[in-house]
Amino acid sequence: MAYEVTEEQGCTVAATLGALQVSRCQQNRVLDVTVRVGSLQLDNYHRMPGERPVFTSAARLPLDDVPGAIRQIVWLETDRVYRSAAERLIRLKTSTQVRAAGEEQAADFTEEKPSVFAGAPKPFSFPKELWEERVKRWSAAFGASSGILTSQVSIGARREVKYLVNTEGTRLVHGRNYSRIVISASTRSSDGMDLNLSENLDSEDASGLPSDKVVLATVERVARQLEALRTAPVAEPFVGPAILSGKAAGVFFHEIFGHRVEGHRQKDESEGQTFTKSLGQQVLPSFLSVIFDPTRRRAAGVDLNGSYLYDDEGVAARRVPVVEMGVLKTFLMSRSPLPQVPRSNGHGRRQSGYEVVSRQSNLIVESSKTVSESALREMLRQEIRRQKKPYGLYFEQVTGGFTQTRRGGLQAFAVIPLVVYRVYADGRPDELVRGVEIVGTPLASFGKVLATSDRPEVFNGFCGAESGNVPVAAVSPALLVSEIETQRKETSTDRPPLLPPPPAGGGS
Amino acid sequence: MIPRRAFLAAVAAPLARPAGAFQSDGQRDALLESLLAELERARELRLENLERPYFVEYAVHDMEAFYAGATLGALAESRIERLRLPRIRVRVGSYDFDNTNYVFSDSMTGAPYALSYFPLEDHPAAIRRHLWLATDLVYRSALQILARKRAAVRNLTLGESLPDFARAEPVRMILAPRRQIFQPKEWEGMLRSLSAELRAYPEVTASGVEFQISTGMFYLVNTEGAQIRIPENVARFQVRANALAEDGMPLRDSAIFLAHEFRDLPGEPELRQAVRSVGENLRALVRAPLADNYLGPVLFEPQAAAQLLADLLGRNLGWRRRPISEPGRPVPFADSELEGRLGTRILPEWIDIVDDPTAEQWEGKRLFGSYPVDLEGVVPRRLVIVEKGILKAMLGTRQPVKGQLESNGRARLYGSYGANAAAFGNLFVQAAQRSSMEELRKRLLELCAQRNRPYGLVVRKLDFPSTASGAEFQRMAARLAQGGGSRRVVSAPLLAYRVYPDGREELVRGLQFRELTVRSLRDIVAAGGDPVAFDYLENGAPMALTGASAFVAECSVVAPGLLFEEVQLERPAEEFPRLPIVPRPPLEANL
Repeated sequence: MAYEVTEEQGCTVAATLGALQVSRCQQNRVLDVTVRVGSLQLDNYHRMPGERPVFTSAARLPLDDVPGAIRQIVWLETDRVYRSAAERLIRLKTSTQVRAAGEEQAADFTEEKPSVFAGAPKPFSFPKELWEERVKRWSAAFGASSGILTSQVSIGARREVKYLVNTEGTRLVHGRNYSRIVISASTRSSDGMDLNLSENLDSEDASGLPSDKVVLATVERVARQLEALRTAPVAEPFVGPAILSGKAAGVFFHEIFGHRVEGHRQKDESEGQTFTKSLGQQVLPSFLSVIFDPTRRRAAGVDLNGSYLYDDEGVAARRVPVVEMGVLKTFLMSRSPLPQVPRSNGHGRRQSGYEVVSRQSNLIVESSKTVSESALREMLRQEIRRQKKPYGLYFEQVTGGFTQTRRGGLQAFAVIPLVVYRVYADGRPDELVRGVEIVGTPLASFGKVLATSDRPEVFNGFCGAESGNVPVAAVSPALLVSEIETQRKETSTDRPPLLPPPPAGGGS
Repeated sequence: MIPRRAFLAAVAAPLARPAGAFQSDGQRDALLESLLAELERARELRLENLERPYFVEYAVHDMEAFYAGATLGALAESRIERLRLPRIRVRVGSYDFDNTNYVFSDSMTGAPYALSYFPLEDHPAAIRRHLWLATDLVYRSALQILARKRAAVRNLTLGESLPDFARAEPVRMILAPRRQIFQPKEWEGMLRSLSAELRAYPEVTASGVEFQISTGMFYLVNTEGAQIRIPENVARFQVRANALAEDGMPLRDSAIFLAHEFRDLPGEPELRQAVRSVGENLRALVRAPLADNYLGPVLFEPQAAAQLLADLLGRNLGWRRRPISEPGRPVPFADSELEGRLGTRILPEWIDIVDDPTAEQWEGKRLFGSYPVDLEGVVPRRLVIVEKGILKAMLGTRQPVKGQLESNGRARLYGSYGANAAAFGNLFVQAAQRSSMEELRKRLLELCAQRNRPYGLVVRKLDFPSTASGAEFQRMAARLAQGGGSRRVVSAPLLAYRVYPDGREELVRGLQFRELTVRSLRDIVAAGGDPVAFDYLENGAPMALTGASAFVAECSVVAPGLLFEEVQLERPAEEFPRLPIVPRPPLEANL
């Protein structure tokens, strides 16, 4: 049995054009109860095809430390979860006998040593009025852009503490602070294409967030790029060489690679299981390694969002080399084992209210074939000439897309490009284009990485999957890919607003 | 839950009077000015050679909301939110035929603009930008919906055709704000202390007390010339607790207090007493015997009678229209039980019912359901609903229905298919013949004797508004669907007593009404006892289930006790889960 309490304290402030839209703070404590009945080999969490059992329900606990009040809720919640667990086990036992045994069966739960640790993060501090004034001022800087329809600057700050106790003797108190400034804007081109840009600035502590100057410069850059996008030419379908910036490459790896090395997917016959049988084999070019390391707190001068000390099953976080010199060594594991990987490696994660599955943490791409960014560019130009293409592409900014890993669905991935340029071999300046969509099959894309830059960049974000939203990061240098395929984004039949915008001063 | 629609209490019933976009104290109102400015521009919307809107409306609920809850002496939650909730309506076509009252009237077509929350500050540029983009989307959707509706009616044989929108005189009503000052620390302290009262009741397995206070203004402007700005204030206290009988039957009791402002709620001693009463009721219910199925006379004490009428009449006095659909596409739609009953007798001839939102006081108590103007900008007047038992009128909105082509100012909840839903304000149930409570009980026992019944039934309190959890509600609804009988979920009695010929009372548990509908009102044979004013928040959900909807209307029912000749109740046979396996944990002696 395990009890995990997630205690969260946070504030959000958002504004548009100098006017506050959101300013609120909240606090909550949520309990997730885990009860396992049966045995390590077969317990109530055993998955049947098409079923994903959920026992916890994120029960709210009081904020005050009044033992009687807390215990009453824990008592009832435990009783409910136990009954649910026991019922399912009975059903499983009758059903497992009927079902034919598949390939070598993995157990349902691993043995792990208990962990004991107490270290609460720094107290929460958020001077709300001060942040309101700043956010309003930053958002007002969008006022000068006439080509933009909506814009917003927001700050969110959170302090999260996790308490975990289980019947094996684990006793943990750990957590983190986290804050993020988001600068976003949207517009619509005259042919009805919606265009959005968003940049985020992350820091563990709000005091570590960038200065006024940097934020305003970011606002100005987002505004300028969005206005340029609005009138940029529409991209043509394309097959040819491209550079993905470090940030874009990080998203690329997270989506098309990271999800496919999550342990729970290897056990699920309804999943594509792209790499299930590939342990010990070459899955990436030999100059690339991919490490997942939640113990790493910072990279390239930025705090990493996927850091933690213990996962949501109380297993200590550690550096996990998943791919070494292109060879697949292991998967990301929770306490749900695989026949080939019988122990957890500290990647069992979840959002409150969900059940743990193996999830990504800080994905770090390391390369032994690095060149400077200008050299990488030159390599791109050479590749363009060699392939006799009219141009190549440079993906400066993308946002996390969705990945289709399930059998029966297309084995395609779609990472959503936001800022893309045509790069010409003859030295013409880069040309911004809009409406680009990347397509391709995962295995095919990997084989086509030719080289990387020598300067990693960080993409911080949140990943949503079977166990809810968890914070993640991806660190990667820029990639030169010999072939990437793009298509034109489906355009809507909408159009820009019918009336001109209201006067900027607000008067009639 | 975000309460809305509160009436400014201390100001005398305001008449609609002309006013500019200025507050009554001469201050400019930037939000109102921005709404009006953008409304003017919206008249010019036109897509290609298609029609312009013939009606545009902007409404905004501008409010601050406080919520806090505590359990067994511990604060569970506390938050304050500042919100501005806009509502934009565009009609294309004409009053006779427009984009509403159609199965797809609520759908938005086209890609939405990336609009976030409505600006909280009085910043005209940001406010107007939001309205500009939102109106653009709503207008374009309206055009598509109208085109589709026009195509649909070509393939349908329609009955008698009604206009889609009733005309109404534009009203100008600009009232002064009346903001409540929040005292979060003080209120949190009260909640901790009040919730701790239930520590003395080990029978209680779960409990909570909560305050919900909201304060703000409601704005409404439209292209007919209406300009409304009225204060909205609601204060609510609730205590709710659960227990389990020995056979595993889940038991629940609650008490709710309402006022427009916090300072008008009962004081702490009275709230404390209410919390203790809930504990006492649960203690008694845990020990109470299981009820038997019952068919016979039932006496509803005044509070329960008021609750029953609120439940039965509340959802049936406002008639909605079945929206036009497409051939072969059924629309889920619940008709009113009173449909087609105008001019017929629905109650004994010695009962009258009047809805009067303009009344402010009754027997020295401030009436909770008073309001100056409805959601559509129509001023309500006193309305005779039932006269000598005959249904004379129903609650009307600007959606014309058969028998009620014009609004009578009762549009108080947001509805579906482009229309709004009706609710009454202060419903007065007046019995020309009234007995005392003792006489009613005597009569009850006489009726029992006539029917050879060993006991009668007295209902003291109903679960209305219901404080059932989501899971409990689903169980109730599933049971009702299986059990046959009326498919509508009616609130169950929380406190029901057997009354024996010797006058002895015995609390019983587990009863539910079977087949209790508006038709049952004809079985009322007597009324009596001192009437009570029962206040509640109507939200359009079955049993006014608390928390089911963010938008609510303040209502009040003033009613005496009612004796029914025959009511059917049952105690459904149910398998309850076993009691918790581990005994409940101890509570520490001191907090």
